[in-house]
Amino acid sequence: MAKYRILFLEEAAEHLADMGKALLDLEKDTASAESIDVIFRMAHSIKSMAASVGYDPVMEVSHALEDRMETIRSAGCVPPGDSLSMLFRGLEGLEQMVAIVSETGEAPPERPDLVSELSVPIEAIPVVSMCVESESNAPPESLPEPPDAAELDVELAAVMAALEAEAGAKKKLLN
Amino acid sequence: MKARVLIADDASFMRQMIREIIEPEGYEVVGEATNGMEAVALYLELQPDLVTMDIVMPKRSGIEAVRGILAEDPRAQVVMCSALGQETLVMEALQAGAKNFIVKPFKPDAVISTLDRLVEKEDMVGA
Repeated sequence: MAKYRILFLEEAAEHLADMGKALLDLEKDTASAESIDVIFRMAHSIKSMAASVGYDPVMEVSHALEDRMETIRSAGCVPPGDSLSMLFRGLEGLEQMVAIVSETGEAPPERPDLVSELSVPIEAIPVVSMCVESESNAPPESLPEPPDAAELDVELAAVMAALEAEAGAKKKLLN
Repeated sequence: MKARVLIADDASFMRQMIREIIEPEGYEVVGEATNGMEAVALYLELQPDLVTMDIVMPKRSGIEAVRGILAEDPRAQVVMCSALGQETLVMEALQAGAKNFIVKPFKPDAVISTLDRLVEKEDMVGA
């Protein structure tokens, strides 16, 4: 079992680091499918490992986080408001729990507070429409109408005339 | 040797655990894949008798990998590795052609009996 505890600690540390990077990316783009997928997979993997070595409190929190990411994946983005902070708190909680395993070699205490927080349903929020309206999914702002070709010709001609006049004036001065 | 096995799982922890369960029982692990795409490629290269396939993997999910393998070899024997809360995905994998599933955390006896049954069935078909 000691061998698997070491393996768990090594792999969990990598997964938590990947999760942290993906969360920072989600801060910039709350609809990043890749970041959502990474956090989901990392939570899933930690859950499976924790269950295999009997760290049930870690399994419960990672399971709640995995479920939350599944909901977010279905919605297409992280709902605005407290959701992203909640994910960060989930990550922080897992980091603390893994640190306890590393220090004591034992399963960490349960975190029912974190499990409850991550399990708060978000179905009441109309996430799909909200994701469409979110910054990353918002339709691009309408581009200004391109200028009329004839107008461009007039402007170009005016610039050319001004440049020619300036060049003529300089030539006179030099002469 | 009972059968040649390819293990597909993105977590080295889980790959090692399966290996340590099945090798003492006479199974030979011929390869390890860390994502779904690699699982398909290694299956074609190594032609194992059995595959243990995690469902959640990067690049190509376990279910997509099952479809990819069966498209190339309809007789492939793939066992899904599922975890708590993945009942729907397990059903999808079985519909895609996976032969059976084992549940994490692995119970060594359950893993071995699942693989043994598939090997026996294949022997009967092949006999």
